[in-house]
Amino acid sequence: MSLPIANHIRRLRFEAGEMTQSQLAEAIGMTRQTVAAIEAGKYSPSLQAAFRIAHVFGAEIGEVFQWVD
Amino acid sequence: MSFREKSAWITLFSVLVCFGAYFTELFGGLASNPHHFGGLGSVHLLLLATVALVALQVSLSLIAAWTTPKDGRGPADERERQIQWRSHALGYHVLMVLALFLFVPAFFGHRGVEMANFALLGVVIAALTVAVAQIVMFRRGA
Repeated sequence: MSLPIANHIRRLRFEAGEMTQSQLAEAIGMTRQTVAAIEAGKYSPSLQAAFRIAHVFGAEIGEVFQWVD
Repeated sequence: MSFREKSAWITLFSVLVCFGAYFTELFGGLASNPHHFGGLGSVHLLLLATVALVALQVSLSLIAAWTTPKDGRGPADERERQIQWRSHALGYHVLMVLALFLFVPAFFGHRGVEMANFALLGVVIAALTVAVAQIVMFRRGA
């Protein structure tokens, strides 16, 4: 089931010097599997985790996650 | 695969093997001898199944820990905790329903050790439900 929240984590990781999912996972205190699930749109992170992800990329939360109707 | 997903597979496998053998032996004995099922003789089988379950789970968990990369062995994150809560909630409801169904064998005159074995079957089915639910949720991503 696809969630109505799109994300740009793959692009942001690429722009952050090809940051790996493992590196992002370590930076936000999650497992690589959870980062992969978020990136694939299979899991919606909590607000706190979403802010942590945005913080890692130095971006606003709206630049990372977007609601799609 | 994360350590917690491997743990769910290990639980599924070990419970199926150990208690599958236990209940097969129990119900097989019932077919040949109607008094076999209810006797305290099944206690040694239960002990054997329990010891085998613990040994299998510990040894397989050690192997899983060795073969899981560091990034899959950390503390449970929010998604993994959510999977644990949801799977245990499902297992709880299965257990409640099966507990209500304990009236059925009681109605047919089963007592004592027999009823304990029916209750144990309910616990085993609930544990299998938790493990299967975790595996499905880990495979689906959430």
